[in-house]
Amino acid sequence: MQYLIQLLISGLAIGAIYGLIAMGFAVIYKSTGLVNFAQGEMTMITAYIAWTISTTVSGNVFVVAIGAILAAVLLGLVIERLVMRPMLGEPVFATVMVTIGLAVILRSAINFIWDAYPHGLDISMGRGIVHLGGIGVRTGQIAVIVTLLALLAAIWAFFRYSKVGVAMRAVAADDRTALLMGISATRVHALAWAASSVIAGIGGVFFALSYDLSPAMFQLGLKAFPATILGGLDAVLGSGLGGLLIGITENLAGGYLGSGMKEVAGFAMIIVVLMVRPFGIFGERDIERV
Amino acid sequence: MIRHLAAASLLLTTACLAIGPATAADPGITDTEILIGDVEPLTGPPALLGVAASIGHKIAIAEANAAGGVNGRKIKYVLEDDGYVTARTIQGVKKVIDVDKVFAMIGISGSGQSIAVMPVLEKSGIPTVIDVAPVKFLWEPPRKNVFVVGQSYEEGIIHLVNFLADKNPGKKWGLITQDDDYGITVRDGFDTVVKAKKLNVVYSGNYKKGQQDFSSDMLQLKDSGAEVFLAGGIIGENIAMMKELEKLGIKPVTGIFWPGRIEPVLKLMGPAGDGIYAVDYVEPFAGAAGKAFLEKAKPLVSEAEFKGINRYTMTGYAAAKVLIAAIERCGKQPTWACTISELEKTRNVETGVMAPISFGPGVRFSNQKLQIMQADAATLSFKPVN
Repeated sequence: MQYLIQLLISGLAIGAIYGLIAMGFAVIYKSTGLVNFAQGEMTMITAYIAWTISTTVSGNVFVVAIGAILAAVLLGLVIERLVMRPMLGEPVFATVMVTIGLAVILRSAINFIWDAYPHGLDISMGRGIVHLGGIGVRTGQIAVIVTLLALLAAIWAFFRYSKVGVAMRAVAADDRTALLMGISATRVHALAWAASSVIAGIGGVFFALSYDLSPAMFQLGLKAFPATILGGLDAVLGSGLGGLLIGITENLAGGYLGSGMKEVAGFAMIIVVLMVRPFGIFGERDIERV
Repeated sequence: MIRHLAAASLLLTTACLAIGPATAADPGITDTEILIGDVEPLTGPPALLGVAASIGHKIAIAEANAAGGVNGRKIKYVLEDDGYVTARTIQGVKKVIDVDKVFAMIGISGSGQSIAVMPVLEKSGIPTVIDVAPVKFLWEPPRKNVFVVGQSYEEGIIHLVNFLADKNPGKKWGLITQDDDYGITVRDGFDTVVKAKKLNVVYSGNYKKGQQDFSSDMLQLKDSGAEVFLAGGIIGENIAMMKELEKLGIKPVTGIFWPGRIEPVLKLMGPAGDGIYAVDYVEPFAGAAGKAFLEKAKPLVSEAEFKGINRYTMTGYAAAKVLIAAIERCGKQPTWACTISELEKTRNVETGVMAPISFGPGVRFSNQKLQIMQADAATLSFKPVN
């Protein structure tokens, strides 16, 4: 039983990181109809910035958190303004290709700005081990699960009750009508890129806290994308939950079926789910596939 | 008209042949310069080895240039990035040979990349010394112009597992490897010793390249009761494995392989990495030879490059020393043929960073002596085990 619980906890922890990045994918898709293939790289850049703050400014958890969030907002806004906005109205394929190009640039930037060595995000919390009923869990793992749940609740409330959230939903549903209603689509897009960068960046920072920081970290995007597909490409909350499902499935498969099955299990589940619900568990039926 | 052109071409060819080899010099060499080419991963995760190896080449070149160059000629280093993508390695090697027209090649990316580029090197006939990723295919069968400094992955693993088996008789073993050619080599070496020493293997895992979370794998290892563990990851994977084991509250005797034997790894592993064993053929930086190398390197590279030094810098340095020495022995008019011949005559060349290097007639592999090291978390270094 302890073996199963340990697998579930670890699965939830890594799944929460996938979930956060997956939510980043979904926020952009929901607002702009675009799949951002540079999501993993944006996640990685934010984590590297957090590490830089922790080593050069202060290792205080609040300083690192605020600095990283501000940096992620800036990163999202800069990318939207300089790279994505000029692509407005262009064919979706061309825009998607731009995000792929952006991914390559951001990936290379790691070596130019930082280096290829692995680094640890050493802030006062996160690396400690607590024992819950004889099961060792890192504090960073507990924190990421709590953060994901808190963000899920906050985002649900944001889309449900806030003016900006409703405006974002309106743009997602019909941007022309939203424009006629006085909603600025470009502003909503900018907000979506900033929000996506922050949410995914939080996932990246937690990953760096629990594991390490290296130029290979962009691969998290490849792991989180299936979570978005599973939850629904246009379902922000669903994507978060999709991450948890993928994390748990991977770990159970790895623990009971063998190491080789770990990476396969998540994708196998996606194939099965998409055969039944092609738009994802929580996605809307008329989703446009890219 | 065509007849005239043909006659002129014939005349020109005859004239060139009559002038003889003194002026028909091989490419990459002028009265003042010798060009040495290299293609390495300078971006992406494998930049960790590519950048470090290139720094080693630069140190040896800077050292030679500071001493007046090779018989009066300064060495110029032409470096290309392949991003660890095989197609780009081939493209890069063709570019430095055909466009930059280098005199010799050194380094050359990872194992898969250097294997893929072998036909290009062989066809060109350019003197080449490979140092980053020594795998058997590079020297078996021996190619006339390609020399390899290092030790085979398989021999390295056999040496490490033999050492751990002798030190821990009758213990239960666990192994995890990557699902690629690197992992297969590690597994082959491991299996050789398992068979010979009849080791009791209770856990054998195989993870997909790029995997970052090892929680279920390490839980399985714990559940199996393994007491000695061969962590077949490269860098990030081994860090993740050791931290998982720490979380699970177990500390088996652990061995890692040289691609992951770099000091920053120990910092990331923290106390979990204390006491792990590693095998390598280059000197540890904590030893006298390692310290002397760092002292030598400091004035020859930039501050940023100095920070990028790791074990691959030593392999790169040693290979470049051997190549430069061979060119030097050719005197005032070095040619490819002479350089290859002199490389073949390399006997017990001291580089200070590994055992003396030798090649021979039909021997294109230096077959470096291996040593076991142990991690010391307090000083974040690997120390030789006697």
